Amino acid sequence: MRNGAEILKLGTLTITWWCIIFGAVWIACYLVGVAIPMLLSSYDSDAARITAETCRALTPILSVLVFIPINAMFMVLFERRGLAIFTVRLGPNRVGPDGYLQTAADAVKLLFKEDITPHGADAFMFTLAPIVFFAPSIFGAMPLLAAVTNYHELFQIVNLPTGIFFILAASSVPVVGIVMGGWASNNKYSLVGGLRSAAQAISYEIPLVLSLVTICLLAGSLDVVEIMKQQAGGILNWNILGGGALRGLDSALALKFSNSAPALQELSAKSFDQVLKTAYSDPAAAALGLVAGQDSMATIASIIAVVVLMACVLIAAGLYMTGACAEINRIPFDLPEAESELVSGYNTEYSGIKFAIFFLAEFTNLFVVASIFVVMFLGGGDCPVPAWLGNMLGGPQMASAINQVLSPLIAIKFVDPPTLFAAIWVILKVYGIVFFAVLVRGTLPRFRIDQLMDFGWKRLIPLSLIVFVLVVFAREFVNVHVGS
Amino acid sequence: MEQFEMLKALAETNVESFMFYILATISILLAYGVILDRTIIRSGFILIGVFGSICGLFLLLQAQFLALAQLMIYAVGITLVVVIALMLTNPRMEKSQLSTAAPANQLGAFMVAVGLFMTIYLSVRPENWTLSSEPLDMNNVQVLGRALTTDYSLPFEFASVLLLAALIGAVMLAKAEKPPKPGEEDFEYSVVEDSAAEPVASKR
Amino acid sequence: MTSSVATKSQSPVQAMSYALAYAIAVCFVVGAYATGNLDNFVSMTGLSSVLESWALKDYTELLAFVLIVLLGSTVALLGGQTSIIMAVGTVGSFFALTLNQHPLIQYLSLAAVLFAIGLYGMVVSRNAVRVLMAIELMLNAVNINLVAFARYVDPVQVKGQLFAIFVITVAAAEAAVGLAIVLSIYRNTSTVDMERFNLLKW
Repeated sequence: MRNGAEILKLGTLTITWWCIIFGAVWIACYLVGVAIPMLLSSYDSDAARITAETCRALTPILSVLVFIPINAMFMVLFERRGLAIFTVRLGPNRVGPDGYLQTAADAVKLLFKEDITPHGADAFMFTLAPIVFFAPSIFGAMPLLAAVTNYHELFQIVNLPTGIFFILAASSVPVVGIVMGGWASNNKYSLVGGLRSAAQAISYEIPLVLSLVTICLLAGSLDVVEIMKQQAGGILNWNILGGGALRGLDSALALKFSNSAPALQELSAKSFDQVLKTAYSDPAAAALGLVAGQDSMATIASIIAVVVLMACVLIAAGLYMTGACAEINRIPFDLPEAESELVSGYNTEYSGIKFAIFFLAEFTNLFVVASIFVVMFLGGGDCPVPAWLGNMLGGPQMASAINQVLSPLIAIKFVDPPTLFAAIWVILKVYGIVFFAVLVRGTLPRFRIDQLMDFGWKRLIPLSLIVFVLVVFAREFVNVHVGS
Repeated sequence: MEQFEMLKALAETNVESFMFYILATISILLAYGVILDRTIIRSGFILIGVFGSICGLFLLLQAQFLALAQLMIYAVGITLVVVIALMLTNPRMEKSQLSTAAPANQLGAFMVAVGLFMTIYLSVRPENWTLSSEPLDMNNVQVLGRALTTDYSLPFEFASVLLLAALIGAVMLAKAEKPPKPGEEDFEYSVVEDSAAEPVASKR
Repeated sequence: MTSSVATKSQSPVQAMSYALAYAIAVCFVVGAYATGNLDNFVSMTGLSSVLESWALKDYTELLAFVLIVLLGSTVALLGGQTSIIMAVGTVGSFFALTLNQHPLIQYLSLAAVLFAIGLYGMVVSRNAVRVLMAIELMLNAVNINLVAFARYVDPVQVKGQLFAIFVITVAAAEAAVGLAIVLSIYRNTSTVDMERFNLLKW
């Protein structure tokens, strides 16, 4: 019962902090991206126009810069309170109302600590390392912004045609910072931590990249916004459930519940050729159509393809989470900073603001990784309830009621309903993944270094290659069937 | 008003060339850092900077895919391996105690390098090529992918075979010999050390 | 080698100040060339007739380059710090030689500079791993060439970028095998000095 109360407290704390974080980001974006240009538009001069455009162009960067420090503060608190629940403790609960301000106090403490450069250290590299560790996560987050804000016009400019590749490239850079910091500290524990980190990152990057490449193959695009748009329309369309394998089921259900009997009739009465033609793109639709008794072979083929696709994508999602945990040095892969063996590894010698930057970057990386998972597998800012189910549950009425309530804010362009809903869903999903990571941290012990390498090279990489090839074949399977 | 117009025009025409010169200066200076820095591990890290600035140059040339591949493979993959190799071969992290090349050799190498640069510079003239003014599509990943799987599929396969062979070869070369049985240990190691230590001692 | 003797006899501060003076001089030369004052200077001093007789009148940038190189060697002989002089001279002459050129030539010249630096480093350095790093530098210079050609000569089929992909692949294989060889030699001889890699020497 005590634990139940703690969970409730964690819930209220989370919601309070969400309001603080996203309120701050929202207001900052609104001021710079909408309010100032609107004010300036009344002056008809070149200077005003250029300033307005600059403000709009700077909005994505500003939102990230406002977001990262506050968010990291909250995530540290979230992790400590979550771990406390899993280990049946209380967690930080003294500073501020029920410990709400604990990490703010920690941050202030870190900023006022003395910034020490150890004797014999390479001072320049020692200073550069936290920056190299931190900067890529800001850049890496950029293309995701366009996806998670539901392609809002202010954030369009950060979208790239090679978005996911950009994110991967940016997320591979921080390991350089770790090796650099480990070497520059002139400390053998730090050096070992840095070397371990390099080996680990290089090994686990392969399954990570291959699992994301599998999804890109399904979507046929490297553009995160494109991948997100393809998953629109409810949980059945998300990549985690086969990347469109169930899209046919979704449309069939939509037809069924839209009470348009003729349309359903049309679906099941399609000619054999037509059904087979749809089989390639919509195996499940073909399955539904064929169960009505047209061709058992094609039915079996389609169902097998759907099952294989779903299994492969689920495995790919697991591979991604594993690789990402290793990439950002989270338990159970936190060997580079193993406290008990390496006295916290590469950041042994760091203190003050540099340590704060390392700390900030670690939690930002966790957030970025979770957002990549959300965009690639969980449909980004998409509502999990399919439209047909939403209609039955009274979704449109609720939406219009919310719009009614928010109408004064919409009038001054403070709120854009699609972006707002997308943002809320993204927050829920991302923090769901973060909560999962905290759960893993509270559950699993740390790997040993040789087990880590074995697991990476002998299990994950072959498995990811198999998944990759299977997805190719599962997509082509039905195609071949049509050809014969 | 006119100043703003001028500024805008200047920015539009010159921003690319401005960025080019910044990146070029950075990459040249860092390249000198790579070959002249006394602390060899630091020059390994500087190499990452060179590759990063070259990645920026690729972005300027609108080769997005290649820029990111450069960052991922060169700047992080290869160079980290180089840095690890440096740390393995220079275990005490001190300034390299190696002999330096004789001044005459250095001067000769410098003359050859300058001569090479001048030869290349004097032979590349824009008249030599039919320059195309067509804009490059920012999203040319599809073009690259199609070419790699159709016209250039054979070189692509060869490249993959080469990579596999290099992987196996590197593992075989770098793999340490199996540790000897406890009884033989002293004998084996003493032999190896003697044969290694002798030429070093004679040179000193 | 008077220069090396002179360098050793002087204090590092003096060597540094020589190098800084050289940097300022290079800035002046490049500035004069970029603003067109070097042309005026040439025509004023009557050098133009000499240049014309060598058919070099249109190549003022070469004059700037020669000026920078001469200044650099003088300062180096006087005892400036050679590494800074080399770096400043290279950047200065790169600016002077490419400022008024087509972008393609700018990129090709940058690639040539990086290639030459890589060549110099490969010959001069004694650490085997540094030699490998210099080779990586040269391969990257070639990549710049290829991508620049893809941008300015063949923007439709971008064959240059394709070749750059193959170069990256080969470079990765080369780095892996090269480093493995260096590591195994290090295990056997406990040195990475190129001078001592003379097992096959007769």
